[in-house]
Amino acid sequence: MGARGSKVETVELTRRFRSHVAVDRVSLTIEPGESFGLLGANGAGKTTFIRLITGYLLPTAGEVRVDGFSPVTEAAQVRARLGFVAETSRLYPDLRVEGFLRFVGGARGLRGKALATRVEHALERFALEPVARRMVGNLSKGYQQRVSLAQAFLDEPTLLIADEPTGGLDPLQQEEVRDVLARLRGERTVLLCTHDLAEARALCTRVAVMNRGRLAALGPTEEVLDGDASLALFRSDAEAAPA
Amino acid sequence: MTPFLALVRKELTVLFGSPVAYLTLTMVGLITALVYFDHLRVYNQILFLYSTTTMGGFDTATIPPYVNLRDQVFLPVMEQLALMLIGLVPLATMRVFSEERANGTDELLLSTQLSPNQIVLGKFCSTILFVGLMLAVSFVYPATSLLTAQLGLRHLVSVYVGLFALGVALGSIGLICSAFSKSQLVAAISAYAVAFVLYDFTWTSDFVGETVVEFLDALSLHQRFGGFAEGLVSLADLAYFAGITLVAMSLARLSLELTRVR
Amino acid sequence: MRELAFAGLVTIGFGLGAYYATDELGRFTLANLFAGAALLSVALVGGSRRLRRGLGAPASRRVLLPRLFAIAAALLVAVALERAASWSKVQFDLTAARQFDLSSATRAALAELPAPLTATLYYDEGDPRVRHTRVLLETIAQAGDVRVRERRMDDAVLEVERFDLAASNSIVLELADRFEIVERPTEGSFLEGLLRLEQNASGVLYVARGEGEANFRSTGELGFSGLASALQLQGYRLRDLVLASVDAIPEEASAVLLVAPRRALRPESIDALRAYLEGGGSLVALLEPGPVTGVEALLGEFGFGLSDGLVVDPASGPVAGARPGVNPLVESYADHAVTRGLDATRMALFLTARPVSAVRKPERDDELRDLVFTSPGAWLASNVEAVLRGFAPERREGELERRYPLVSVGRYPRGEVEARIVVFGDSDFASNQYLRALYNMDLMLNAAKWASHRDVEASLLPKPWTPDQRPLTPQQTLEMLYAVGLLLPELLLIGGGVIWLRRRSA
Repeated sequence: MGARGSKVETVELTRRFRSHVAVDRVSLTIEPGESFGLLGANGAGKTTFIRLITGYLLPTAGEVRVDGFSPVTEAAQVRARLGFVAETSRLYPDLRVEGFLRFVGGARGLRGKALATRVEHALERFALEPVARRMVGNLSKGYQQRVSLAQAFLDEPTLLIADEPTGGLDPLQQEEVRDVLARLRGERTVLLCTHDLAEARALCTRVAVMNRGRLAALGPTEEVLDGDASLALFRSDAEAAPA
Repeated sequence: MTPFLALVRKELTVLFGSPVAYLTLTMVGLITALVYFDHLRVYNQILFLYSTTTMGGFDTATIPPYVNLRDQVFLPVMEQLALMLIGLVPLATMRVFSEERANGTDELLLSTQLSPNQIVLGKFCSTILFVGLMLAVSFVYPATSLLTAQLGLRHLVSVYVGLFALGVALGSIGLICSAFSKSQLVAAISAYAVAFVLYDFTWTSDFVGETVVEFLDALSLHQRFGGFAEGLVSLADLAYFAGITLVAMSLARLSLELTRVR
Repeated sequence: MRELAFAGLVTIGFGLGAYYATDELGRFTLANLFAGAALLSVALVGGSRRLRRGLGAPASRRVLLPRLFAIAAALLVAVALERAASWSKVQFDLTAARQFDLSSATRAALAELPAPLTATLYYDEGDPRVRHTRVLLETIAQAGDVRVRERRMDDAVLEVERFDLAASNSIVLELADRFEIVERPTEGSFLEGLLRLEQNASGVLYVARGEGEANFRSTGELGFSGLASALQLQGYRLRDLVLASVDAIPEEASAVLLVAPRRALRPESIDALRAYLEGGGSLVALLEPGPVTGVEALLGEFGFGLSDGLVVDPASGPVAGARPGVNPLVESYADHAVTRGLDATRMALFLTARPVSAVRKPERDDELRDLVFTSPGAWLASNVEAVLRGFAPERREGELERRYPLVSVGRYPRGEVEARIVVFGDSDFASNQYLRALYNMDLMLNAAKWASHRDVEASLLPKPWTPDQRPLTPQQTLEMLYAVGLLLPELLLIGGGVIWLRRRSA
């Protein structure tokens, strides 16, 4: 495990759903400590790519490695490094905020005093103390997203994967979430999945643009997203970039 | 708290955070009460029909031996309790996997330290605990008979071991149906259908030979429960229910991997 | 595929529902069952195709194959477990009266089957008693070479006519070319049927008559017809023996039963008995306190002492209308063939009994023993006649409390023959009213078997279950309904509702 984060490598990573190719021979490397943006229009294959890294989906072909471990055969090692922020709705609405964090902490192997301290710390860090006893399902979207971030940070993961973390939030709430992610830069590896170019510019050092499952562009954020031409990468007729 | 215990606790919190759990338990209480007291009323009437009342009091000499609390009330009620389990256990199991799938929380669950085996086992254990609770609620009524009619604690133990084994098997069937479906409704209806088919194979005797009927009988939940209801705990019947549970758990485990393949 | 599987399951469910509701395989039922099976098959084929496709990718193969093997292994383990458990035949009878723990008599009868026994259960659909019978037959089948069949009476009209079966829940036992019908099957009625079927000729018992002895034909409470049929069921033929008119006991007699003579026997009769015993004969004597019949003196010659008192025991059976203490409950037995299988948990009930005891051995090789005892707190009442008329027992001065024997036995080897005598200090215990009480019948039948030189297999008979038939008053039933039946669900609903509402607004 890298001191400042995990290294993620994919080689010719491919995922098909019947005849539809969701991820098509994607090869890339995310260095430890890097804030990496995965961009693309809706349906470009970003979420599938993330799910292949977390091990939630199995690849049809190709390989994924997180710090050298495969999510297919060494899922436990990969999960031990992983913090995952899903979209807002992917929480348990029938649990209280504190209870939910306790559950995730417990499920990540924390126990006793360590669990209590981490939960307390997470509540404080993401300003969730006022809503700690409220049901997750009754919170506003902004708070729910903070809960989602808080659970991902509970056991200080070396790889944080955030899937559309600001989707559906108002501008103020988006700013709050971005602040949290910005503070992580250099501390750990962040894979941010978004279709918001401004967000990518603000948070990521490097980005990849996916189009119809293939890599349309890969490089430093300023280079890839420079000027109006970058928008063409998101169109469905864009050419794939060499991997 | 180990990841496994955290999951069991979460499952129970979610279950008891929804009204389904309380409604199910209330229905267990009400159905058992109504069935039980209806049988008791009929039994009393039969008893008075057969008996002769003398100046000295109630004379049981003219009552045939099969008119007794055990045969007229206790055993039929237990039979209906078994049917009630078929009706109610799928209500408790339908959400277990389906809800996670529908809400997308399964992705969160699979990103933690919980192994797929622990997830299946944890959900299974919380289901068992709930079945146990259902039976505890229903136990109140036979317990009153225990005091009034000397049914024998041992017989009661046998019946409840059977009901528990049946409940666990039904819970396992419900879990598979929930594991293979995103919709809670589909999960519940499928569980009803599977349990209904497995419950009794008597109808097959019109189609197939004696040997096949015997074989199918050995697979029937109703047939296997019968021994327990009669007060006979057989290792073979326990093994049958354990077998159903084992196969169900391995199928539920497969369903988790099938999600990854899709 | 899921949709097809779902539709298939629902279709089959409705087919079965229609069958259970109408109790016939109508067109709707059949159409649903077949359509459901077809839909499920298509879903299965589709599912397996999808699985095959899924197995195409190496990563999927790596993950799915172990799971498929695990399912196959789980199936194998489940079947193996069930088979092993069935083979082990381990089961626990938790019924209050241990109804499925077969008695040693049933086990012995099943073990001695000369040919395979076929037991066919005839039943009507929906007869609730059938399940009990089914479990009983399964238990019985595990104890011997028994093939169990089940036939619905509607489907087996010819057989029902042939066996003239009157009601559902009847068993037809077939052994070689003979059959017996057991109606309302219990272990006891099954055993009786089996014994009738086996018909082992076990010897001839001569029942003494003419001096006021017990009546083996009387079916009243005081009669002994129950003992007569129990002995016949064990294979004995019973013959009358009018002692006053014979000079010698017939040689074919396996034993003589002398039950409660009221008058003194003629000296010639006593001589005949003596000669019979000296020639290796056997006698089972059940002697009431009170009458002096001459048999006491004869038994004295064979080493028995019969006291003329009446046993009063604090450990006495509560018999309606009787003075407390005069009906001893015996619970301690010496180890002997006659008392085989009986112990402190298996009592026998005697009614106004006299003590008997083995006093001395007439010859060195003879063997005399006391077998059945009262409690140590028993004493002897001297006013026997008064007690029998219902007066309180009086204690003789200086009479100590001690354990009194109520049954004694003796065997007398004389060259190649051996005489056997069993003496009971009571006869009422074997009367119709009390023969089936506790373990009385076992004790009596064992005594007859031992006396007639028949091996006493550990033959405790099945005990009938006596149900509790006290009613609850309508008021009691209602109180229970309110207190338990409705209050608990009400509290559950209120508690659950409050918790849910509070959580919802949190």
